[in-house]
Amino acid sequence: MLAVLSVEIRKLNRSLAAVLAVAAPSLIAVFGFFMLLRGKAAQPWEMWMLSAIGIWAFFMLPMSVTALTALVAHMEHGPKSWDHLRSLPLPRWRLYAAKAVMVLAVVAIMSVLTLALTWGAVMLAATIKPDLTPTGPFELGRYAATMGKVFLAAILMVSIQLWIALRFASFVPGLVVGIGGTFFSVVATSAKQGVFFPWQMPVNMLAAEAWRVNTALGLGCGLGLFVLALATAHLSRREVL
Amino acid sequence: MAAAIETEGLTRRFGKHRAVDAVSMTVPERAVYGFLGRNGAGKTTTLKMLLGLLKPTAGSARICGVDVGRDRIGAGRKVGALLEAHGFYGNLTGRENLDLTRTLLGLPTTEIDRVLEVVDMTDNGRRRVADYSLGMRQRLGLARAMLGAPPVLILDEPTNGLDPDGIADMRRFLRSLPDRTGATVLLSSHLLGEIEQTATHIGIVHDGRLVLEGELAALKADLAPEIGLRVDDPDRARRVLKGHDLTLTSDAAGLVARLRPGADHEAATAAVNSDLVHAGVRVFAIGPRSPSLEGIYRNVTAPRAAAERQMETV
Repeated sequence: MLAVLSVEIRKLNRSLAAVLAVAAPSLIAVFGFFMLLRGKAAQPWEMWMLSAIGIWAFFMLPMSVTALTALVAHMEHGPKSWDHLRSLPLPRWRLYAAKAVMVLAVVAIMSVLTLALTWGAVMLAATIKPDLTPTGPFELGRYAATMGKVFLAAILMVSIQLWIALRFASFVPGLVVGIGGTFFSVVATSAKQGVFFPWQMPVNMLAAEAWRVNTALGLGCGLGLFVLALATAHLSRREVL
Repeated sequence: MAAAIETEGLTRRFGKHRAVDAVSMTVPERAVYGFLGRNGAGKTTTLKMLLGLLKPTAGSARICGVDVGRDRIGAGRKVGALLEAHGFYGNLTGRENLDLTRTLLGLPTTEIDRVLEVVDMTDNGRRRVADYSLGMRQRLGLARAMLGAPPVLILDEPTNGLDPDGIADMRRFLRSLPDRTGATVLLSSHLLGEIEQTATHIGIVHDGRLVLEGELAALKADLAPEIGLRVDDPDRARRVLKGHDLTLTSDAAGLVARLRPGADHEAATAAVNSDLVHAGVRVFAIGPRSPSLEGIYRNVTAPRAAAERQMETV
């Protein structure tokens, strides 16, 4: 399995997926940088870091997952490499499981980058305008724990997007589902039913009510892993014509 | 001679359409087996079943004695394949692409240098595949198929997209493979000339059915001898030769007289020439025609095609 995983990681070398992994968190950091510069008074660290996590969970994560899964799947669909991969003497489920692990790992790296780059952008902006230096403690553990929950709650969304992206050779089904999911999560952010909507589960990790956090986390992570296993089994059994 | 590849009643349906219909083929060890048929005849579907990519509706396939249906991974260890779609990652170099497959197969890194050298691609291994020509991709695909020196190579249209020099190189390379590596080569093509110049054995597939199989030299030897004729008045020549025990057809080069199998070729040529000259037909050229794969192909596919056309008009 480690060999298949290392192959998946090496495929990212000089790929658009690798560019996306850096670009999406950077955009949040750039936004934070300019927000701080246009501020009138210093804000607490909590505001900057939780805002970054919120933007990530609310919009950038669903969009990034849509793009990332499409790009990762298109690495195989584009050059039609499934026939070569599936004819190799190794269990096919490993090919799909390795791809899923790689996508989750990239999302995890993007989550860490979001925190790290936001911290860096805020520090850089504060150097330019020292009077706006964030106040209060920098609670890394709390931010990391919240981001970790966002990541776990996103597993169901990642599984659905990856399943569609790997199943269909065309970009379109994955993009339609991803854009549609993001659209409904944006226009119906405050809907209570959002905890049951895969694209809204990550942002629910910032909710004040504990039941919302727990329900979205349980469904997003638990059901997500189950769907991921189901997708792996389905994709490895089906014929690619 | 033992069989490197063997199928029994291999069949694959797509809905109501039988893409492959009860194909029973035998590829002897160390043969270069040309799998011939027009586009859509069922060649690629057969190859995909041999590689375990498609499940047969009926029948079975064995690679070096390993049943593909029962042990796909075991059979896969015996095969290297070059498929029509290469499946290379353009963002990676040739070496990096080979290294991915090498890692998946658990082979030592020295394998990359070995296979690149075999296909004469050592100098281009560090270039990105996106910058490769089609011919270079084809050779890289061949290198990848040879990773781990599998005893069987399955090559789907290996000369597709190659320039004339590339085609000639590929033919030479494929012909020499059994002697150099001990491998058995199954190559599919719709190009008669390519197979004729490369293969030791052939299998002709037509509308999903294997209509002929055997050693190419033996099949050619079994063909009825032919005499090629170039005359000033073909119609008159036809009338003159009506009494002879031969079948007269024409092609781009002129008239073709096909004798009965076993007929004395030289005596027949002399008699034909003599009768034509005596009848006042001017003979520009006359001589034996070597049996060709095209002749074999036409013989086995034309009657079926004609019968099918007749069925359609009834």
